[in-house]
Amino acid sequence: MMTTRLIAAAFLLADLLITPAAVRAHAFLDHSDPAVGSTVPASPSVMHLWFTQELEPAFSWVTVTDKSGASVNDGPATIDPSNKSEFDVKLKSLPAGTYTVKWHALSVDTHTTEGDFTFHVGKG
Amino acid sequence: MSRFIAALVAAPAIVLLVHSAAQAHVVCGDRVFPTTLTMDDPGVSDELSLPTITLTPTPLSQNNSYGYEWDKTITEDLGFAINGNYATQRGPAQKLAGWDNITVTLKDQHPCIDRHPHEELVWSVGLIRLIAGTGSARLRNSGAIASVGSTAPTFYFGKGFGDVAAGYLRPLAITGELSRVFSDAPGASSNAWAYAVSLQYSMPYLQQNVQALHTPQFLTRMTPLVEFAMSQPDVGPPTGTIAPGILYDANTWQLGAEAIVPANRATRLVQGTGFIIQFHAFLDAYYKSWFGRPIINRNLWK
Repeated sequence: MMTTRLIAAAFLLADLLITPAAVRAHAFLDHSDPAVGSTVPASPSVMHLWFTQELEPAFSWVTVTDKSGASVNDGPATIDPSNKSEFDVKLKSLPAGTYTVKWHALSVDTHTTEGDFTFHVGKG
Repeated sequence: MSRFIAALVAAPAIVLLVHSAAQAHVVCGDRVFPTTLTMDDPGVSDELSLPTITLTPTPLSQNNSYGYEWDKTITEDLGFAINGNYATQRGPAQKLAGWDNITVTLKDQHPCIDRHPHEELVWSVGLIRLIAGTGSARLRNSGAIASVGSTAPTFYFGKGFGDVAAGYLRPLAITGELSRVFSDAPGASSNAWAYAVSLQYSMPYLQQNVQALHTPQFLTRMTPLVEFAMSQPDVGPPTGTIAPGILYDANTWQLGAEAIVPANRATRLVQGTGFIIQFHAFLDAYYKSWFGRPIINRNLWK
């Protein structure tokens, strides 16, 4: 009986701690288009990245580079006004090859995260 | 036979040992070292583990514990933790229940080391103090919990394999800890070495950095792992456990479950294969006040 009460109390306390405040956290990459590690047949015009949290645009960035390290961004990355967890960057026309996407994100609660991945253009 | 009895008396202490260390998670570059269940990791953060439920069969009883832990940052790199548990022993001869001793930990984390891309190396040092006399007198008198306090300087580390060439090995990471446990009364309770290692395969890391999988999302949030924790007293045989399991990481909380398998014969004498499950909340994700933030907003290493 005591055990049951303790378990119930523990879950209740956890629930109370979690429920009252708005949820905030680190912004991690949820998914992207082109997808992480994927091969696309033709040059994408835009790189889309969706994060797990809303981002602060002034302190977040995305850079796409080719094999030589040259940027292939066609302008700065922008946050979708209708979805502040989506980061988009227009791309130049990409010849076949491997491209590296580097991102740095500051979530609205000031947690900083970063990451990188590659995708390929051309026949897989 | 006397060794068996000695081991039997020590059983509750061993059972409780596996989750007496503080637990926290840490982000290093694009690597997240999640909270491990039977050992600590190198992180310092604002978190709550509630509850941690451990079910452990022993030769003479069923031992369960219902644990709590609160991790609080003082500065960005320095934090403390308080943890304990409510323990029950149910056997044919007797039934015992009560609070275990409180353990406090002070830990300082060196900033993440990222000298080259994806080095993902982090370490920290800590001091763990088991405060004898803070638990149930009945449990203490029966030998179910420690009657002697101890202090353990501890070194923690974590290393992600994000810098290896083979893509599908990059989600691997190891974490570890090494403690020297100084007993308050070595004649009554021996000094000991305690060490633990975890090997983890982060599906979130695979998904975000290597290869996006077209699988249900809940699979991409899992981290299969195995934890190996041992204690080597200066007097007596080593004991320890191997704990394979799964961690599920949501954005603001983590759920973990592991089997706890005795690692050697001395441990098998005192406990069978058990089970541990833990709910863990990242308080910094919920609270902007001091409850979810460092009390002093600076890093002592910088």
